[in-house]
Amino acid sequence: MSSPTVVTEAVTTTIDHAADTKGRKRADKPRRKTSFKLFLLISPFLVLSFLFAYYPLYGWVYSLYDYKPALGLSGSEFVGLQWFRLLVSSPTQVDQILQVLTNTLAISFLGLATSILPLLFAVLLNEVKITRFRNAVQTLTTLPNFISWVLVYMIAFSLFSSTGLVNDILLDSGIITTPVKFLDTDQHVWLSMTLWSIWKGLGWGAIIYLAAISGIDPSLYESAKMDGAGRFQTMRYVTIPQLMPTYLVLLLLSVANLLNNGMEQYYVFQNAFNKEHIQVLDLYVYNIGMTGNSLSMATAIGMLKSLISVALLFSVNAFAKRVRGQSLV
Amino acid sequence: MKLKSTVALTASVILAAGTLASCSSAEDPTPTETSGTGSTTETAAFPTQWEDEITIDVFDGLANYMGMQSGWFAKVVKDKFNMNLNIIAPNVAGGGDTLYNTRVAAGDLGDLIVTDKGERMEELIQGGLLLDMSEYYPAMENVAVFDQAVEKLNDGTGGIYATPTSVSSILPTEPSEGLDPTFGPFIRWDLYKELGYPEISTLEDLLPILKDMQDLEPKAENGQNVYALSLFKDWDGNMMVTGKQPTCFYGFDEIGFVLAKADGSEYQSILDSDSEYIRTMRFYYEANQLGLVDPESTTQNYDTLWSKFQNGQVLFSWWPWLGQSAYNTADHMAEGKGFEIAPLEDMQVFSYGAEAYGGKQVIAIGSQAEDPERIAAFVDWLYSAEGTYMNNSQTMGAAGPEGLTWEVGASGEPELTEFGQAVFLDGDATVPEEWGGGGYIDGTSTLNVSAVLPNDTDTTTGYPFSYKFWPSYQALVETPLSEDWSAEMGGAATTMDYLRDNDKLLVAPGASFVVPTDTSEIETLRNQIKAIVVQYSWQMVFAKDDAQFESLLSELQSTADGLGYQQVLEVDMANAQAQNDARVAIAAEFSE
Repeated sequence: MSSPTVVTEAVTTTIDHAADTKGRKRADKPRRKTSFKLFLLISPFLVLSFLFAYYPLYGWVYSLYDYKPALGLSGSEFVGLQWFRLLVSSPTQVDQILQVLTNTLAISFLGLATSILPLLFAVLLNEVKITRFRNAVQTLTTLPNFISWVLVYMIAFSLFSSTGLVNDILLDSGIITTPVKFLDTDQHVWLSMTLWSIWKGLGWGAIIYLAAISGIDPSLYESAKMDGAGRFQTMRYVTIPQLMPTYLVLLLLSVANLLNNGMEQYYVFQNAFNKEHIQVLDLYVYNIGMTGNSLSMATAIGMLKSLISVALLFSVNAFAKRVRGQSLV
Repeated sequence: MKLKSTVALTASVILAAGTLASCSSAEDPTPTETSGTGSTTETAAFPTQWEDEITIDVFDGLANYMGMQSGWFAKVVKDKFNMNLNIIAPNVAGGGDTLYNTRVAAGDLGDLIVTDKGERMEELIQGGLLLDMSEYYPAMENVAVFDQAVEKLNDGTGGIYATPTSVSSILPTEPSEGLDPTFGPFIRWDLYKELGYPEISTLEDLLPILKDMQDLEPKAENGQNVYALSLFKDWDGNMMVTGKQPTCFYGFDEIGFVLAKADGSEYQSILDSDSEYIRTMRFYYEANQLGLVDPESTTQNYDTLWSKFQNGQVLFSWWPWLGQSAYNTADHMAEGKGFEIAPLEDMQVFSYGAEAYGGKQVIAIGSQAEDPERIAAFVDWLYSAEGTYMNNSQTMGAAGPEGLTWEVGASGEPELTEFGQAVFLDGDATVPEEWGGGGYIDGTSTLNVSAVLPNDTDTTTGYPFSYKFWPSYQALVETPLSEDWSAEMGGAATTMDYLRDNDKLLVAPGASFVVPTDTSEIETLRNQIKAIVVQYSWQMVFAKDDAQFESLLSELQSTADGLGYQQVLEVDMANAQAQNDARVAIAAEFSE
């Protein structure tokens, strides 16, 4: 926790200092010139963030039109707030959105809750002393991160479909008589989705912790050993506490991404049976906009995400202010 | 505090950006293009030689193949027009209208376009994406034969933007389908025969029979399980596609969420508990309880299902062009095996009457096409006798190129050559090098659109274009299977004959009716409801027990109602009524 705080404080003091001097030497021309030069230095980044973060917001305009691609925006009819009204026009519409939000948040919170796993995995992996074995495990667990979700689904399908490997084995060994429906079921959708993303991301997530572990001062371990700490005790009292700052920063960042749980995974796994519980916000927007061909309506729903994100940002900010006495933004 | 000021600043920046951007974004697809040729003289005829080789993009809403056209059809087009066809198929790409939307937003849908008439065509014309063919129309003599249909299609557009498909000179009150209807309960006749031709008074009576048939043949020749029913989801639209089909055995067809009877005597909301659609759901549900439904139904696609039919793993087909086309090979039929229509006593199979003014799809040229004259010449060729023989889809009975697959025999009748018999009776054959080589089936036209109906008559031979109608062909295909079926069905020669003679056919006059464009709100509601209907339908078929089935049904009804089902239904009911009025009018017009 300490190092980021120090940095922030240092930056703040410098800025305050700079502001002071600027006030005093307002008439100083060469000074102005340098600050203009410095401004030019950051301008590419300003342009970039404007182009990629703010300019796309212009797309919100589509939610006010009845957009038809063939006619272009200028040829499409302006409908005002029609889509927003439609969204709240009936309790069922509202229920649909609430269900989608519940799915989104539930899967995200499950993700947050399991975000400690890569840390534990890294700690345990670090204790493996045979380098070759450790490297092999690390490579094998990192690899799934580079497999696209489409291929992951192919694997899932060949293993768990009603004629897949698992069902074949269970049937042949006489444990079951009818194939178990692993994929086309509405049972435990959130859990199974979380498990799949853990499988895919565990090794990759552990990399940063492995790096952090190598940065821990060896003297801490030495003194712990002198005090008679065993393996598990050094893990518990040295390694994990030392990793906590890293973990908390990552946790904070993932809170900001709460609504962004992506859509590829849910897109490939969705079917008529699990749709009710698998539709997260991004997938819902896609299904309405692209599959359902209602691009304007989809834009309106997509805006919802931005609103909720802003609300979340304010609340996390308030929380951080209370806990750390300082706001994030 | 800091956050608030940041937000305020950002907000003002966004506003400013928005204003600026909205000024600059006046990009419109400019429909006022001037075609490069600049020829003011009326083109009397198309040239017969084309200088440079070109490749055109064909955006084809019907195609089931994506990529370059190859094989003998490609060679014919290349020789005639010095042109290659690059087929872009939204059906293959998947993802609904995604491909259409992105291409249309880019201002270039394709050089040659096969799309729906009505809303689609209107918005493409309005958006300036289609070319006005008026300049080339005088040269399009083959299309001109169907001038009336062309006029009707382009009525009110101020030009000639598209040509109709499936045109013919057959009366609109006659079936457009030929020898086999589009729909029908087709079962494995050999197994049905083994059971001693039990009586089937209605749809539900099929269940015990299918069960017995499945028990007779639990494993297919390839060792896989046989299921009486196997479903698929690729084509689900307003409803589960396999759920609609049995309603067609009783004379219904969908128009939005309405099932309309061909003779206009009945309109049903699909979600009414006693509708034909829900009846089908119950039918499948009960079949699943009996173990008759393939558990892979939920995940497989049409291609997988097709190969299951080929392997004899499925015993029931909703369409002749699935069960019969896949399984009734010469070998199987010689053994007496194959799909034939089941004699449901109360069925009234829906049949599409020949469309007086063309079918649902149209052929158009893109406004950005590089050589519109050549494409117009190609379109015109599709309507010629030669084009009709070659381009029509092979499952529709397209005879192929004269001289290769067929010829006019000594008696003046068209008949299949040896090569043709190998292709159409045994499944495929290798095309001679002079015709381009490769497998015949692989080389057929992938456009999958009939410009002229294959059962229309070729005026030069005096017989229909489709080889299936030729007496010489019908003599060839008498097999133990067809003889047995025919004997059981009172001597009927074809499925159509049987249905007609026994009053089990209901023809919906081909009024070329176009469903009016939905308002944007209705369209959005419709799309939301569609998704819910399809989702619940699948769950209902695979429900655990009666209680779950009923609760899913009522959940579906209340969710759909909550999303505005009644509103959409009202529109559909009005459309169904208008469609019927058009059918009545066209029948009257042509009966005079």
